[in-house]
Amino acid sequence: MEALRKKIPLTLPQNSIKIIRIIAALLLLALVIVRAIDVAAESQFGADTWLRLSVSGLIIGGMYALIAIGYTLVYGILFMINFAHGEVMMLGTFGGYFVFEAFNAIQVTATDGTQMSFLNANPVIAIFLAFLMGMTIAALSGYFLEKIAYRPLRGAPRLVPLISAIGASIFLQNAGQLLFGPQRRQYVNPVVLDRGIGWNLELSGSTVVLTYTGIFSLVLSAILMVGLYLLVQRTKLGRAMRAVAQDKKTAALMGINVDQIISRTFVISGALAGAAGVMWGIHNGLFNYFVGFLPGIKAFTAAVLGGIGNIPGAMVGGLFLGIVESLGPAVLGIDFQLKDVIAFSILILVLIFRPSGILGEALSEEKV
Amino acid sequence: MKKSVLFFVFVVFAMILASCNGAAPAGDTSNGDSSGGDTTSAVPEVCASDAFGCAVVPAGQTVKIGMGAPLTGDYASFGVDISQGAAIAVKDAGTVEGFAFELVAQDTQGAPEGGAAVANKLATDPTVVAIAGHIFSGSTEAAMPIYDKAGLPMMSPSATNPPLTTLGSKVFNRIAFTDAVQGKFAADYLYNKLGFRKIAALHDGGAYGQGLADVVQAEFTALGGEVVGYEAVTPGETDYTATLSALAAKNPEAIYFGGYVAEGVVLANNMKQSGLENAVFFGCDGTFGAEFVEKTGANGEGAYAASLIPPQSEAKLKFDADYLAAYGVGAGTLSPYTWSGYDAAAVLMAKVKEVAVLGGDGSLYVPRGALVNAVRTTSGFVSITGDVTCSDVGECNTAGPTFYIVQDGDWVQAEK
Amino acid sequence: MNKQSLQKSAASGLVFGIIVIFLALIGFTVVFSGLIQKVLGQSLGVGQIPRIGNFFIFLGFLGIWNGWRAARQDSHESLTLPKVLLRAFVAGLSAGVLVMVYAVVVGGLDARGVDMRTYLSMLSSDSIKFFLFNQSVAMGGLIHVGFSTLMAVVGGLLAFGSEKSQEQVKATRTKVQNWSQRTWLGKVQGNPYVSYVLMGVVLLLLVLLPRTWGAYWNYVMGTVGIYVLLGLGLNIIVGLSGQLVLGYVAFFAIGAYTFALTTSPEPHNLVWNFWIALAVSVVAAALSGVLIGLPILRLRGDYLAIVTLGFGEIIRILLKSDLLKDFTMGPRGVRNIAGPTLFGRSFTSDVDYMYIIILAVLLSVFLAKRWQESSIGRAWLSISQDETVAQATGVDTYKYKLLALSLGAAFAGLGGALFASRNQFTGPEDHALMVSINVLCLVIVGGMGSIPGIVLGAFVLKGLPEILRELESYRLLVFGALLVVMMIIRPEGLWPARRPKLERPVEPDQEPAAVAITVGGKQ
Repeated sequence: MEALRKKIPLTLPQNSIKIIRIIAALLLLALVIVRAIDVAAESQFGADTWLRLSVSGLIIGGMYALIAIGYTLVYGILFMINFAHGEVMMLGTFGGYFVFEAFNAIQVTATDGTQMSFLNANPVIAIFLAFLMGMTIAALSGYFLEKIAYRPLRGAPRLVPLISAIGASIFLQNAGQLLFGPQRRQYVNPVVLDRGIGWNLELSGSTVVLTYTGIFSLVLSAILMVGLYLLVQRTKLGRAMRAVAQDKKTAALMGINVDQIISRTFVISGALAGAAGVMWGIHNGLFNYFVGFLPGIKAFTAAVLGGIGNIPGAMVGGLFLGIVESLGPAVLGIDFQLKDVIAFSILILVLIFRPSGILGEALSEEKV
Repeated sequence: MKKSVLFFVFVVFAMILASCNGAAPAGDTSNGDSSGGDTTSAVPEVCASDAFGCAVVPAGQTVKIGMGAPLTGDYASFGVDISQGAAIAVKDAGTVEGFAFELVAQDTQGAPEGGAAVANKLATDPTVVAIAGHIFSGSTEAAMPIYDKAGLPMMSPSATNPPLTTLGSKVFNRIAFTDAVQGKFAADYLYNKLGFRKIAALHDGGAYGQGLADVVQAEFTALGGEVVGYEAVTPGETDYTATLSALAAKNPEAIYFGGYVAEGVVLANNMKQSGLENAVFFGCDGTFGAEFVEKTGANGEGAYAASLIPPQSEAKLKFDADYLAAYGVGAGTLSPYTWSGYDAAAVLMAKVKEVAVLGGDGSLYVPRGALVNAVRTTSGFVSITGDVTCSDVGECNTAGPTFYIVQDGDWVQAEK
Repeated sequence: MNKQSLQKSAASGLVFGIIVIFLALIGFTVVFSGLIQKVLGQSLGVGQIPRIGNFFIFLGFLGIWNGWRAARQDSHESLTLPKVLLRAFVAGLSAGVLVMVYAVVVGGLDARGVDMRTYLSMLSSDSIKFFLFNQSVAMGGLIHVGFSTLMAVVGGLLAFGSEKSQEQVKATRTKVQNWSQRTWLGKVQGNPYVSYVLMGVVLLLLVLLPRTWGAYWNYVMGTVGIYVLLGLGLNIIVGLSGQLVLGYVAFFAIGAYTFALTTSPEPHNLVWNFWIALAVSVVAAALSGVLIGLPILRLRGDYLAIVTLGFGEIIRILLKSDLLKDFTMGPRGVRNIAGPTLFGRSFTSDVDYMYIIILAVLLSVFLAKRWQESSIGRAWLSISQDETVAQATGVDTYKYKLLALSLGAAFAGLGGALFASRNQFTGPEDHALMVSINVLCLVIVGGMGSIPGIVLGAFVLKGLPEILRELESYRLLVFGALLVVMMIIRPEGLWPARRPKLERPVEPDQEPAAVAITVGGKQ
């Protein structure tokens, strides 16, 4: 064994590694630029296509960002990956769906005397209640998730809550399937928010549709993110959350009820995931019990990309990931099937050169 | 450390020894069930001459039809739906010599690994006589050698990968037509009937979808058309505008999609906002079914799909009513294959009824080899999917697909 | 009587009520009653509703548990009979009333002909009637209340009884222990021949079992064995060197595909010998570990986790992509993968594979144990304890982390090659993210850094879902719940390593909450 150990000559000096890394980075960058110029020269896509791609990237990025904030909040406080977060979002999606279904079934007489469903008669109320319901259900499930699956593990080695979270994720996914059935469902939107219609822009000879649902999702996620930022930065609860994230013991000594703050963090992150879930339903329509899985993984990636534990980082990471996914294959001129390959490659590159994410604090290496 | 080295060497030797004295295939726990052969009068003669022996179902037990299907995971709706279709067939089948049938649906999660585990499990159960499955081609392929050893005839409702019937399996048959047949018909229909010259082919990155898209691409090009785009989408996502926008830049007249309903619905819904408002969506048998119409609404109008389900027949209407009553949702809303699930189980049970013999001891004897042959030689069995007649490699749907178009919110048969 | 304790009882009763309602909503009540019926030896046809009596057994268990929990809410106080009875009664009543409300609502809707399956797929009319014991709505609800209360009281009494008898049990246990220490056990322990005999028994079992328990168990146990290999490999990376890797499946896939592509006639027609291909697969996986590790091992903790997860996904997507279709066969996967041959004989029956897997496992256990106990293992340990300190004390952390990754990858390559060979087929779906997660789970469920723990963990993670097959659609639900419960009951794993804990908990202080409550709840 000792002989084997000596035979492995891997003791490159740190400096040369750094230089190699920089050279590799420059080479890669040059390659990407050359390739992109090449593709652009072919001018496969007109301005209309580029706009479409960017818009779709922004919309999906906004949703990633909302979910990513949930990961980041929990991570910032407990240093654990809440693997079941995607499932919390799934429950939120179902919550909003049932509100829409119920309102769609209620018939009311509108002011002009025609019969229409409550959903179309009062779309604002219906949408508000759908979000309220989705966020409440998701927040509650986040609360109970923490209470049942994570709280007993406070103080256990760091990977143990992760496994518990994976178990909870499997449980919730299958519970969703058994409760609501394996079939896919579709949001019935109020007419004002019909999917696929929107503002039409004429661009290089074709029509680009900025869908109402997409713009609605984007604006709403921006509002929620700003709201959350204010909550964390300006309120007492936010201050307590930051204190707990910094140092639980000292926070407790300062009179902060740590358990309560952790619970509330889960409630907030759940509510955001619920909102993302309802948005997901309104914008994309189709969903089933599995809806949380892929966005969950992507949002987690986004959170790490932006610097996990960092709220603006999650927002930046989400939007960045969405845009890379959407534009990346077109820029490089490769199959769209490989968009996740591009997304993950960018993640890896970013982390190699900025090991704590785009906006991550330099300290996080020590913290983790 | 010496001790453990010694131990290790021991084990190696012991295993080599154990392995050498006759490597009998251990699938035979299920074959040699003629152990009750002491009372020769009880065991029917066919069992002695049968290549695989007899399955013995003691009095009071049920004759089991196995099924390997994804009951959990992201493709659960297929497995649940097909097994529900087959369960109705079991209810309709009545009894054989007083023995009831039972459907044993086991979870494969749609993966090859799960398929092999389920196959081993079902092959161990002596009262399982036939397999209505498996559901996906990968899972089926992993399972085939195991059933081949055990002599369990298969009838797959939905494994469409063309080479499956060329692997020399004696037991594998399928009701679904292969991707090769469907793709050829589809390309022909697109080129000759609809008169398209520029299409784009899309698939969902799975074996089934890619197989179809490949065949369509090859056949359409051979006919003289041009396939201007060929892309794959990531299954399970709900926004494909990026992929479609890139295709739209190439102005195809139609989008051919090989894949399942979930992705098909999203594609059809996203086409308008991606600059493909003038292109026609052309699906496959995986996108057929009530769900597509229900979830695409106006966006789905004018979309095409192929299916092995002939238009409304009495058998289909009866099944649809039974399904709705039993499960509370319409047939075809979970997957497009529930009818095939019914037929696969129905064919198998009809054949079991043909070959099963009541023994003198009150047990039911099902000669396995005879059953394998009986299923392979099925001919003229008429059911929901039409005429089931198996070729000598096990392709039991020799008729081509029927093409459908969405008109006024329902699938109607398109011009032939 | 203490008001707070009654409130607690009522709350715990409500939780049980919610559990019963949840189980009813997902249809588990019917399925589990059916299982009880089957266990009791009565047959149950397809789609048949089991007998009501079995439902009572099922509810009885839950009710007793409810009463038991309510009675023993505080472990410090001594129980008195009236206290116990009152608490159990309250808990049972509150659970029963909640269930009654649910039953009346659902039953009432059903009686009015509403089909709820559009939204709640398991609520068929039959299952609702079953939940109401085939009685009228009011009657069924009342039975629920009465039965729940009765069973809770029984549970409370049992708790009371066990509390009283516990002293006795403890005394008996120590007596038995003392006796056995004095007699045979004491003599047996430390006797070298005993371990030889034990080894012999294990050997005999390993040789005999594959030949006797049939193809199905060979398959399941073969999978378990392959997961033991994977677990040993990941244990080196996660358990010993402390690097969280979530994309372990990448190495598994590289091993499996290297093996598949070099032995299958399609697509490259390189029909290599089994053993050569096996060695090449292992080396390829180890090399890929080095290549992947070179740029990323500077990352720590969850950054490393997500980067490796990304690698796993990249490999899977590339394997099934159109881009590499001609090289990897795309989503169809590779078929006709070779089986092992030796001296011109081929060993491809399930028994042979079982033996090969057992050999591979034994060899890997041996190697892993040697590495773990060598100076390399100590270097890994120091890295996992505190990387900065390890570096400061002269451990070349980068090199050792790289070594851990490539050795761990080599195990995965071996596992992948055996997996592909045994199934004779491998496709991209065999290499999904869930494999990484399963392997990580088995390492931690078994106990990080503990080799027997990993073997046990593999049995739990891959064996348990097979055992749970009887539960059909419910198996993963139950599995997920068990995973959570296992972690809560034994956070250090089922068979923890004997050494001090390999990882420093992030939060060393035990109960900050207790402090906080006394200092003042609200900020």
